[in-house]
Amino acid sequence: MTLSLHHFLMLSAILFGIGIYGVLSRRNVLGILMSIELMFNAANINLIAFNHFLYPGTVWGQGFVIFVITLAAAEAVVGLSLVLAIYRNIKSVYAEKLNILHG
Amino acid sequence: MIEQWAPIVIFGAMSALLIGLSLVVVTARSVFRGAIALAAALGVAAGLFALLGADFVAAGQLLIYVGGIMIIMLFVIMLSQRPLAKLDRQANDQWLWAALFSLAVTCGLIVQFRAVYRGVFFNPEAAPTSASIGRLLLGDMIVPFEAVSLVLLAALVGAVYFGLGKEES
Repeated sequence: MTLSLHHFLMLSAILFGIGIYGVLSRRNVLGILMSIELMFNAANINLIAFNHFLYPGTVWGQGFVIFVITLAAAEAVVGLSLVLAIYRNIKSVYAEKLNILHG
Repeated sequence: MIEQWAPIVIFGAMSALLIGLSLVVVTARSVFRGAIALAAALGVAAGLFALLGADFVAAGQLLIYVGGIMIIMLFVIMLSQRPLAKLDRQANDQWLWAALFSLAVTCGLIVQFRAVYRGVFFNPEAAPTSASIGRLLLGDMIVPFEAVSLVLLAALVGAVYFGLGKEES
């Protein structure tokens, strides 16, 4: 038995599922952001694994992972400053309290 | 013999650790503990990248994710928690449906991956990738590289704008 591509893909599928569960079930906005980071990470593992197994000798997958990490950093910074602004206004970080637009 | 089994053992240990830490991230009652587990999980993922021969990306993951994003996240968690927030329930009422949905997505993905990508095998030889990544980023990927720098500038301005308090703006 040797390591094959589908082992890594299955691991990243499990990670992605855990991230989806976190996004759907967390009440805390910060918890939702952290679950999104988990899903980003599952996609990164996929990109690196495809790069390693199917296209050895090139680094396109790794270049894409660098872009994903950069955009995740930008997303996290904007999201966290939004969380701080929301917390200043309604004194809560729970998603069900964000219903000002509910009518 | 040991060269043949070492990657499998390392991969198994890393995946068990990664899945366990991710479950802590999505189920921990204290968000702070979840953030610490997320930092550890991202470190383990960096180890997986190194196992797959992506040394530069593994180092970047440690520097940017674990050293940068997680620190900001811990700061925001500490700035935005009420006292006794640890006693609140952290899952909403639809957690059962969320669990079923994510289980369905995971099983579907696993079945597809097993069916399509079974026989592609691991190549343990690794070479440094920093030089070729540099050439790629400043060569074929120059347009997305510049676009990402614009996105980072916009994110910076947005973060400063939202971060300003009411009295300053």
